[in-house]
Amino acid sequence: MPAGIPHGATEVRIRIGGPAGFGIKAAGQSLARVFTRAGYETFDLTEYPSLIKGGHNTYHLRVSDHEIHSHVLATDILVALDKQTVPLHLDELTEGAAIIYDPKDFDMSEVEGVPEGLCIIPVPLTDIIYDVGGQKIMRNVVALGAVLGHIGFPIELLHASLEEQFSHKAPEIAEVNKKCASAGAEHAAGQGCPFPLDMHPIEGRDPRILIDGNEALSLGALAAGIGFYAAYPMTPASSVLHFMAKHGEDLGVIVKHTEDELAAMNMVVGAAFGGARAMCCTSGGGFALMNEAFGLAGVSESAVVVGLMTRPGPATGMPTWTEQSDLRYALHAAQGEFPRVVLAPGDRDDAFTMGWQAFNIADVLQTPVIVLGDAYLSDHRASVAPFDSSAVTVDRGKLITEGEVTDYLRYRLTEDGVSERVLPGVKGAEQLVNSYEHDEFGYGAQGEDPDVRVAQNEKRMRKLDLAREICPTPAYYGPTEADLSIILFGSTKMPVREAMSWLEPDGVSVNMMQITTVWPFPAEEVMTFLGAARKTAVIEGNLTGQLRGLIRQECLLDVDHTLARHDGRPFSPEQLYAWIKEVLA
Amino acid sequence: MPEVKEYTNQNKPTWCPGCGNFGMWEALKRALSELDMDFDEYSIVWGIGCHGNGADFIRTAGFHGLHGRALPVASALKWAQPNLNVIVEAGDGDGYGLGLSHFVHSVRRNIDMTYLAHDNQIYGLTTGQASPTSDHLMRSVSTPKGVLEEPVNPIGLALAEGATFIARGFAGDIPHLTELYKAAIQHKGFAVVDVYQPCVTWNKHNTFPWFRERVYKLEETDWDTSDRTAAFDLSMKSFRELTCTPDECRVPIGIYYREDDTETYEDGVTAYGEPLYKVAEEPRDVSALIAEFR
Repeated sequence: MPAGIPHGATEVRIRIGGPAGFGIKAAGQSLARVFTRAGYETFDLTEYPSLIKGGHNTYHLRVSDHEIHSHVLATDILVALDKQTVPLHLDELTEGAAIIYDPKDFDMSEVEGVPEGLCIIPVPLTDIIYDVGGQKIMRNVVALGAVLGHIGFPIELLHASLEEQFSHKAPEIAEVNKKCASAGAEHAAGQGCPFPLDMHPIEGRDPRILIDGNEALSLGALAAGIGFYAAYPMTPASSVLHFMAKHGEDLGVIVKHTEDELAAMNMVVGAAFGGARAMCCTSGGGFALMNEAFGLAGVSESAVVVGLMTRPGPATGMPTWTEQSDLRYALHAAQGEFPRVVLAPGDRDDAFTMGWQAFNIADVLQTPVIVLGDAYLSDHRASVAPFDSSAVTVDRGKLITEGEVTDYLRYRLTEDGVSERVLPGVKGAEQLVNSYEHDEFGYGAQGEDPDVRVAQNEKRMRKLDLAREICPTPAYYGPTEADLSIILFGSTKMPVREAMSWLEPDGVSVNMMQITTVWPFPAEEVMTFLGAARKTAVIEGNLTGQLRGLIRQECLLDVDHTLARHDGRPFSPEQLYAWIKEVLA
Repeated sequence: MPEVKEYTNQNKPTWCPGCGNFGMWEALKRALSELDMDFDEYSIVWGIGCHGNGADFIRTAGFHGLHGRALPVASALKWAQPNLNVIVEAGDGDGYGLGLSHFVHSVRRNIDMTYLAHDNQIYGLTTGQASPTSDHLMRSVSTPKGVLEEPVNPIGLALAEGATFIARGFAGDIPHLTELYKAAIQHKGFAVVDVYQPCVTWNKHNTFPWFRERVYKLEETDWDTSDRTAAFDLSMKSFRELTCTPDECRVPIGIYYREDDTETYEDGVTAYGEPLYKVAEEPRDVSALIAEFR
């Protein structure tokens, strides 16, 4: 396995593993904050089973002084908060990697297969917290201190982070936490096991934010002027609900945790009818419950945004893991035919940008827009440049919110398929927004006339032509000419970009087309890209090759190679690096 | 004040002659007219069923939604447009079958809107299957041996969930129903009027004559509309057997229970008040929030 370090970079990869319910993610994020504020790029990956307590949880943090795009598998420092963490992660340890553990938890000599040459650092995590008057929950903080002590990184940044985290609750708790961190650092630093790299805070770097995909999407939606958010909790979408509930109300957003997903989607349609910018987010199972109302949004020409964060299905599937298996589902969900737009953000910047663009597209087209993500994008934080909120625009399309209208027809036949949308409450805005097929006014009785049906059905679908003009175009990475040309969608962009940066110094040239608007499908662009390629591949996180099938369907073309993954884990750059070399060998 | 006839449009009702929906239609138009409600001051949201076909026959900026799902659409419409009087029309299969969960949760929320249930104890539009409010042992095409469940008790359910206005009407008494509608629309909070509106085509048992022999008006008794427990008991005593005689089962109509000056859901929502389109007129400044992620 390659070490996965960009040429010339200083990089450390830290994994904290232990039982669920002990705040591993929160502790890890403190560490991420320390390094991000110290000028480093970070990317974290939290892996956990669908349990509240017990099971095996891990938090992996990649820290680099160079630009990075994804997580890696390699680990240089393993913090083992229980015995099973060690054997589970032995194979990812780099040469001379450190293992920090508490000898009171287990005896390292009893763990099988621990190779020679590792730096074993026993730290009495539990004893230390009692020495400094702390509580059991602070073991993590001692461990964080130990990590920094081992690296030789100044502890003050962790102190500042802990102060921020706890001082508003009680200053004395912050103090005890700081003591825990210092004690851990001192203990690990004295182990006589030198860390091979010189890592220290870097001055003068541009500031970074530390953010996950759901937070980025939420910020985009808020920037767009969202007024209503409804959801039923479902991993990995729930954190959007939490974020909106925490920040939305003060910003004028009505946030509703509904009785079920059917209510959420119907409410979003109702709020849109009332003029709000409205969104709901869910995962596949919740989206299944929303399907009828999703179709309602289509036939009623409602401007709504749905976030669909995929996890492995079908049914309950693997709740806390990732997959890209809902592409076809997003394209076909709900009975009948109606126009929809499916956007697929590939990283945090995309999530923010598409987060606000989705509302403009929905308003201009008056049809539902899906933002299709997955757990890999939703759940994990990385350092990125602060989003540029000055780039955000609001385009509500043919919406009339006030005043008076005459001879109004909600579903007037137009060239572009979009009719004026006048809100209830406006004088003269009588209309019937309808789940039945309907005439131009909206009456259902007349909608069964064959000519009326055909006219309305074709009117709606004409909006897809307009969609092609206003939706994001594919993004391209890498040189124009390359040994391998890759097409992908969504979060797979991140590890592929990472692998590309590793291949480049090896003299392997790869370029990549990221399909940002999956529907309407950019068939022309795909045909051009494939036509110019020497060797082609699709990399996607599902069993059946959904994107590949879509390319065949829309372009009557095929690619040379497919790499698929459906074990719940994201592609790693290590895997991609090896696979691309194999394909080109 | 728009006259009653002004609330109709060019579409002719397609309900069966004698259908109970006509009485509800007429009472609603009268109530809107007597409350001096202009066409831009209210919005009606329908579910799917014979009641929902009425969406074509009345003037409004309205929404004809999905089967069982009128309530969530209407709830969010109310939150998005606080100045609108939002009226929901639902059926018994629609609202107490598929939509029962939304009904219970809407009652809990005490959203300031009006819920008119077209209760004909049968599925009309799908040709005569038993509904959630069909009587015990009623035979239908879907229950040839009779309904084995107890009927849903919408009044009892609503009372149990803290309903602040619950009434029962009869489509055969339009002036009485009009008054119930007016009181419900004027009530601050979630106002439920469950209306017996006999299906003249499919329900051969709970017919207009059947009801006429049994209904009586609560306001003509010494009924106390502030006694929730008594109202609950009364809801349980309503007929649920097919064989009862007019003496044995009386059907009370009128306001079972009301509680004024209650807190609505909206009262607790900071962001409620202005129409929600106003927060989307220009981009929201989120730079401070973005900075919190540093």
